[in-house]
Amino acid sequence: MKLENFLQVIEVYGADSARWPENLREDLEAFLSKNQSVRALHSEYSQLEQSLDKIAVPDFPGLETRVLNQALPPRQQSLAVKLISWLIPTEKFGANLWRSAIVACLPLVFGIVLGNYYSFGISSEVDEYDYWEDELAMIALTDISESEV
Amino acid sequence: MTDEELMRAVCNGEQFAYQTIVKQHLTSISHYAFRILGNQKDSEDITQETFLKLWINAEKWQPEKAKLSTWLHRIAHNLCIDYLRKHGSIQTLEGIEEGEGSIENLRDWQESHEINETRTQQDQILKNAINNLPENQRSALALCHYSGFSHKDAAAIMNVSVKALESAITRAKRSLRKQLRDTNNN
Repeated sequence: MKLENFLQVIEVYGADSARWPENLREDLEAFLSKNQSVRALHSEYSQLEQSLDKIAVPDFPGLETRVLNQALPPRQQSLAVKLISWLIPTEKFGANLWRSAIVACLPLVFGIVLGNYYSFGISSEVDEYDYWEDELAMIALTDISESEV
Repeated sequence: MTDEELMRAVCNGEQFAYQTIVKQHLTSISHYAFRILGNQKDSEDITQETFLKLWINAEKWQPEKAKLSTWLHRIAHNLCIDYLRKHGSIQTLEGIEEGEGSIENLRDWQESHEINETRTQQDQILKNAINNLPENQRSALALCHYSGFSHKDAAAIMNVSVKALESAITRAKRSLRKQLRDTNNN
């Protein structure tokens, strides 16, 4: 470790060792403890930082009110943004949960309505005569098999 | 609420979210503006404009790229730079004192805040030295020393590389150290 390297670190990261890069901290602290001139330099930078900390910023009375009360232009919202904000409100989400629930039910209602109007090629009507023909044939087969046994 | 939720609400035009963000970030933004501009009136104007820009450009914030505080400081930084370019250099309290008809304002300011009472000569010299630093060095010092930003975030705010930022901090501290040394020697 050279003095220039040490100087570079305290100039960039400050005199507080907690802010030094972790991988260099041990070496820097060892270098600092061994060398008197390095300690003097470190002390000088510590003093500079303490002096910097003393420079206060004044209060800004009324600034918060001024910023909060400034006239804000109306925001233009797209339809999609409006819809999303209606569905997922940032405030009182729990109380407005019914909105999401209604939208979630929409596909179900749509499916029921669609199914009511269109058969999609599936006939629900049963030809009763054909049905009984088949049924009688089945009964007849059963009887024959039983008489054979 | 997280920053993302608040900003989404601002995008939806919800003023309560704007107010929450103002309350959270007002102090850091106004202090940063003051450290760069050196006077209260302009710092207040810049702070107000920063939050107006937040309201107008809320949808431009990209949370995956920068934290909200970083983005707000970037806005404030750009406004400060524009101000300094328009007005040439920083107008400090000392600068106001020299101006015509401004002594009254200065007195009012001093009476209301009583900031000068505890100033030592050394602090005053250091303050002047900071105000005389080039803008980039002053910004680097304000962001890293006073606002506590990481070098990466501070570099992003100033739109420079981390190396350039570290170089600015180094030069600022060397300059201030020299000023303090000269003061102590005299």
